[in-house]
Amino acid sequence: MARGISPTRRVVGALSTYAILLLVVAQTIYPLLWVLFGSLKSKSEMLNNIWGPPLSIHLENYTQAWKTAGMASRITNSVVVTACALALVVLIATPCAYAITRLRFPGRNALLALIVASMLVPPQVMTIPLFTVASDLGLINSRLGVALIYAAAIMPLSVFILRGFLLTLPVELEDAARMDGASRLNVLLLIMLPLIRPGIALVTIFAFIEIWNDFFLAFLLLRDPAVQTIPLGLVSFFQQYDSLWNLYFAALMITTLPVIILFTLMQRQFVAGLTAGAVKA
Amino acid sequence: MSSSPGRMKRFVNGDGLPALLMVLPALCLFAVFFIWPFARGFWLSLNKWDGFSQPVFVGLANYARLTSDPLFLKALGNNLIFVAAILVLKNALGLGLAMLLDRAVIGRAFFRGAVFVPVTMSFVAAGLLWSWIYNPVFGLLNAFLDSAGLSFLKQRWLGDASIALYAVIAVDVWKWLGFHAVIYLAGLQALPSELYDAAEMDGAGPFRRFLHITLPLMLPVIFINTILGLSGAFVRNFDIVYVLTQGGPNHATEVVMTLMMKRAFQDGAMGYASAMGYALFLIVGLLSVGLLALMRRTRLDV
Repeated sequence: MARGISPTRRVVGALSTYAILLLVVAQTIYPLLWVLFGSLKSKSEMLNNIWGPPLSIHLENYTQAWKTAGMASRITNSVVVTACALALVVLIATPCAYAITRLRFPGRNALLALIVASMLVPPQVMTIPLFTVASDLGLINSRLGVALIYAAAIMPLSVFILRGFLLTLPVELEDAARMDGASRLNVLLLIMLPLIRPGIALVTIFAFIEIWNDFFLAFLLLRDPAVQTIPLGLVSFFQQYDSLWNLYFAALMITTLPVIILFTLMQRQFVAGLTAGAVKA
Repeated sequence: MSSSPGRMKRFVNGDGLPALLMVLPALCLFAVFFIWPFARGFWLSLNKWDGFSQPVFVGLANYARLTSDPLFLKALGNNLIFVAAILVLKNALGLGLAMLLDRAVIGRAFFRGAVFVPVTMSFVAAGLLWSWIYNPVFGLLNAFLDSAGLSFLKQRWLGDASIALYAVIAVDVWKWLGFHAVIYLAGLQALPSELYDAAEMDGAGPFRRFLHITLPLMLPVIFINTILGLSGAFVRNFDIVYVLTQGGPNHATEVVMTLMMKRAFQDGAMGYASAMGYALFLIVGLLSVGLLALMRRTRLDV
């Protein structure tokens, strides 16, 4: 380490680093704490005690928000749509990525080029035709239909990520199995699948956050309140009862907290996957 | 196709058949929900169509109309401000935050996790949260300015046409800052520390070390962050604008996506709305290709 700098300056430097970081963290975390506090206050306390923690805890806000916002059916819809889409992505992208990486077949390079090219086309620019295609196929207000479209939109990136993981595995492993007479499918299921589990986990986490939080496609395709997902429910709850702040904050907490907890538990894997993808590229 | 028996046999005995079976599901899904709408949308953009009656082919008339539609040009202008502002702010603040995280040896995991929390929130949740913070009467922001003795700075954040767009941009930056900071942090941690030690020995101050070591070495990561953010900055703004302002006041925060949805589903101008989508695609595509070319050239120079 350098000798030129005095210890006092070093301490001042470190202190200012932490001071700025605390400020940054305050502006990311305090708004969320504010929502948590607000979700536990009575309506009058919301106006009198804007900043601080609740003086008395009103847990009934949560039960009331749960009922008023129709939370049970929204959560069910979000779970159904997200689970179907994730299952489709993993089941369909994995064999496709394996074939593109390891098998020789006519059109392989063209297919890879198509996948890379489609990553440059944001699906939002074809919103209108996507709506007409879904409408022709009878997929408006269909949870499975929306799941299919999510899966298709996220497919190119998923295949690309999985291909990256497959490329790092040695070919000798499967060659040995092939010599012993294993079929391609067996090689994929018994040898490759366990080895690319981190890749599949990464694809699943990304797709989960993307689909679970999505408002736009759901807004476009799920018009009937009975099939709407959580983000749509939050917006319509807000538009109908915009004076019931405390209930609204409770609804926001119910839907946001599980994702934050999930992320906190998986932070290490998530950040590792994210940075491996971005910095190596 | 020349299907001589020998060729067919090779196809069956080789990898052809398993490859077909493995690729086919992905290809079907992709063809129906990506390629077909992409082609159909281009066709729609060449038609006048209300969504119900027979489409009428009008050639490039929809695109010509775009160039003289003041509202579209306004939305495109807002869109460009949005893109430029969030790319600059996310990169500058993201790199700055990453450098602070890099220096904070104790408690780094905590700080990194805390700044990442907004990334996991939905646009809807973040947008609704901020519509309360911005609320001119009860909102946190004006209350904060009051208690800090800065009451003269109080604003109708989302109601004032001259600042609403920037208020929306601030929410988008708030939501994504942690994402970019985490990527920059990984880039910083990969830099060789010997360079910094040597520069310090030579008496280079923190600013010169940043300018001559950190910035040039981080250039590839800056490019990656920009490329990653570019197309998203253009098209992933419907949720946040819809939740915060719905494009108002008086179209001050209108972007191409929100205008496209209004044209399609309020005015029934499906062909015209499709043309908006494809015009946006063209602009994003050209900018991405340009940026990639620039990236390639700069890498050669470095």
